[in-house]
Amino acid sequence: MKTLRKILCAALAATCVIGMTFATSCGKSADFKVGICQLVRHDALDAATEGFKFALEAELKKEGKTVEFDEQNAQGDTVMCGQIVTSFVTGKVDLIMANATPALQSAVAGTQTIPILGTSVTNYEDALFHKLTNGATGYNVSGTSDLADLEGQANMLLDLLPNVKKVGILYCSAEANSQYQADELKKHFAAKNVVAEDVKFSDSNDLQSVCNSAVGKYDAIFVPTDNTAAANGEIIDGVFRSKKIPVFAGEEGICKKCGFATLAISYRRLGEQTGVMAAKILLGNAKVGEMPIEIDTKQEKKYSKARCEELGITIPENAGYIEI
Amino acid sequence: MEIISAMPGALAQGLIWGIMAIGLYITYKILDFADLTVDGSLCTGAAVCAVLIAAGANPWLAILAAFFAGAIAGLITGLLHTLLGIPAILSGILTQLMLWSINLKILGKANLSLNPRVMNLAVSMLETWKTVAVVAAVLAALIAVLYWFFGTEIGSSIRATGSNPEMCRSQGINTELNKVIALMLSNAIVALSGAFLAQYQGFADINMGRGAIVIGLAAVIVGLAVFSKAGKNFAVRLIGVVVGSIIYYVVYQTVIGLGLDKDLLKLFSALVVAVFLAVPHWKNKFASVKKTEKKSEDGNA
Repeated sequence: MKTLRKILCAALAATCVIGMTFATSCGKSADFKVGICQLVRHDALDAATEGFKFALEAELKKEGKTVEFDEQNAQGDTVMCGQIVTSFVTGKVDLIMANATPALQSAVAGTQTIPILGTSVTNYEDALFHKLTNGATGYNVSGTSDLADLEGQANMLLDLLPNVKKVGILYCSAEANSQYQADELKKHFAAKNVVAEDVKFSDSNDLQSVCNSAVGKYDAIFVPTDNTAAANGEIIDGVFRSKKIPVFAGEEGICKKCGFATLAISYRRLGEQTGVMAAKILLGNAKVGEMPIEIDTKQEKKYSKARCEELGITIPENAGYIEI
Repeated sequence: MEIISAMPGALAQGLIWGIMAIGLYITYKILDFADLTVDGSLCTGAAVCAVLIAAGANPWLAILAAFFAGAIAGLITGLLHTLLGIPAILSGILTQLMLWSINLKILGKANLSLNPRVMNLAVSMLETWKTVAVVAAVLAALIAVLYWFFGTEIGSSIRATGSNPEMCRSQGINTELNKVIALMLSNAIVALSGAFLAQYQGFADINMGRGAIVIGLAAVIVGLAVFSKAGKNFAVRLIGVVVGSIIYYVVYQTVIGLGLDKDLLKLFSALVVAVFLAVPHWKNKFASVKKTEKKSEDGNA
């Protein structure tokens, strides 16, 4: 038993030593070190991260500076975000990019000094439990919001489907951003005398059953920018496409998987905007606490040709609709 | 060097989950009841605590409220098992399912922020060493109270129930009541851990409890394996369980710090847990092999 315990301790020590060697062997070759904490893998968040890295590298190159990224993915585990942030803080990164709300909250709880830029977060006041002054936080947090023009989206759905009387808003009950969007959308639909109801699922396991239960109840389905729905869009498509029920998507990734149309921001552009903000902070040209939260002002009308043809929806010509 | 400096964070996390491991120890080892409620009651504790702190309450009162909320969760599992006769694991799963909805209603939404800058929190990731001190003090008090409790008549009766329920019933002990009390106590402690975790990580989220039982069991088994030679003293066992939790988090933080392919992170953590879980098994095998060797030596002598 003593030998076994000794072996275990030796193994633990060895792991630590190997780990240290890896850590120190990375070297200080870049001017800046940026930690990226992404909540989960799906098209929108991936695009935001890519855009961020692309823009930040480009901006820093103009000043002759280089940057090294420590990219971490929490695999959808909100508690892991805290551990990732801890490793960034102890690794003394120069900036933390938090992709999605739990990542942002963990970063805020993890450091008061390292600048934090959030992205793919819909509502910062809710996420931080803090009122913004002139759109800025006043402490080490800023970022970009993926808040779409919800009223515009509701109107677009009603323009393309004028006979709709009842809309089901499909989202994961575990995502606060989606709930916020659903509440706002219900107000906009109510203003146009269309009934909008929540269709909530708790996780990817009951998504299909919930979708099946919505068939026959609603004239159309609306999927806001929900991370779980985005990751499981194929399931939604599998249920509603064969039943010829139109699904309006809150963003392009979801639209490609299951939607017929969307009024989308570009997560890639949002990420690039965040990268530009990061460059300003790293080069000392701006203070993170004074930078207001930015949104992507360019929203594009996009539609899926295949699904529109199947549903018999006519897309108006020359109205700025882009095919995807 | 970075990994060394990440250790205080791992220590703080290990201590917080150590509270949860103690709660799990009560049902898993003392009562011999595989309680899956903990995935839900961890989040319940976090939710109750977060809602109260966000409303302006004193964090310690919020933590106390979380404790009682966890006890109610344990009560539900206990009643499902004793009154409705549902097997142990299933009653835990059913309560866990119920708690998803209940926790959502408590939180009001999926995620509630506990921003250390605008709220008064007992512990926070911003002050790691303060967290370590506070949680260590809470653990010391908890272990002391539990040590006293399991020496009382009710406590001993619970231990007996876990050891040999039939014998207890024949002696006139109310085993059903004991199971309910133990479940309530265990889940109350798990909820306590949830309350600290929510404050530490800066938010309460409906997804928090997922996979908590795996971490808790790993901590219990690792701790017991490492401390097995330290004696059968109850307090020492509980300390061992907390140490097991710290070891788990140190290893986990090291794995993250190694910078390996992130997709493989869960695979590695599962492998680490599997290795640790195999330790008692291998120990027994070695022990029995040594015994047969010794016997054959004596026989040949």
